Amino acid sequence: MQHAKDTFYITLRDRIAALNPARTVLVRGVSRPAVLVEENELPSVYDQPQAFRLSWTDLAIDPRNDQPLATMRCEIRYATAGNSSNGGMDRGRLLAAMDAELSAAINAAPQRATKINYAASGATAMQTNIFWNCVVFNAAETKDEQIQRVATVEVFSYQEAGEL
Amino acid sequence: MPNLARNAEAARRTMDVLLRGSSARSAMLRIPAPATPGDAAEQLGLATPQFQDVELAPVVFRTNAAKTADGKAARRELLVSATAVEVLTGSQNFASAADLFASAFGILVDDALLAIISATELEAGGQVCGYRLTLRETAATAVLQ
Repeated sequence: MQHAKDTFYITLRDRIAALNPARTVLVRGVSRPAVLVEENELPSVYDQPQAFRLSWTDLAIDPRNDQPLATMRCEIRYATAGNSSNGGMDRGRLLAAMDAELSAAINAAPQRATKINYAASGATAMQTNIFWNCVVFNAAETKDEQIQRVATVEVFSYQEAGEL
Repeated sequence: MPNLARNAEAARRTMDVLLRGSSARSAMLRIPAPATPGDAAEQLGLATPQFQDVELAPVVFRTNAAKTADGKAARRELLVSATAVEVLTGSQNFASAADLFASAFGILVDDALLAIISATELEAGGQVCGYRLTLRETAATAVLQ
């Protein structure tokens, strides 16, 4: 399952970077695409506005096949306070732009990717794919001066022999 | 006409003296090393950054400001000299004290690691004299080596 999570993150990161190269965040002095995985980051850097923040929540495993099918829910949180030069009055537009980027990145065909093992000394392709359904957007909420949303996507992966 | 610059400097020195005279102690600020550009291993949690502990002194715990609630981690307040923070900010190449505290992983006090919740400037005479850090006890207070 870890390889599936890693593969989904790298795929989403690269798609967002291709769609909008300007969407970046500064993490410990280095600029990178604004897609962060909660469980992989220091708590002090995770909570950044105008970045897509991934957290893995539900997990179900169907053991009926030769290769068990893992279904994982990925929650993607993002928020914006708008541009301060505009008094934050463009926060709705900026949130809409993030909605569009996320929708384009996840719903674009193909909704699959070859599962990659990043844990080895070099990244190696595995035998199966990961695949995912369309993204579901929850209602936007206002918190202080920010407007925020949580989107969810279910990611599927077959567990290969010996895979963690 | 009063010399404002002199008054401001006096206020900062007064703050330092007050801290030193109020059971001052030292604490360590734990700062992660800069990220490696383009390193997927760090983004995937496979590689962890190096941490550097730098000394903050003088600092004073406000023991009467400790807050505890059932089921929640205790919160404490730490007063830090602006002089010490200024030296650290410059030597570690941070743009500001806010950047320094935002980048820090936590404050190491003896063997306990406390997370920084907020950092507030203490001002007198138009000069920042110190910082009030609100800290939270982390789930694992043991020292991370």
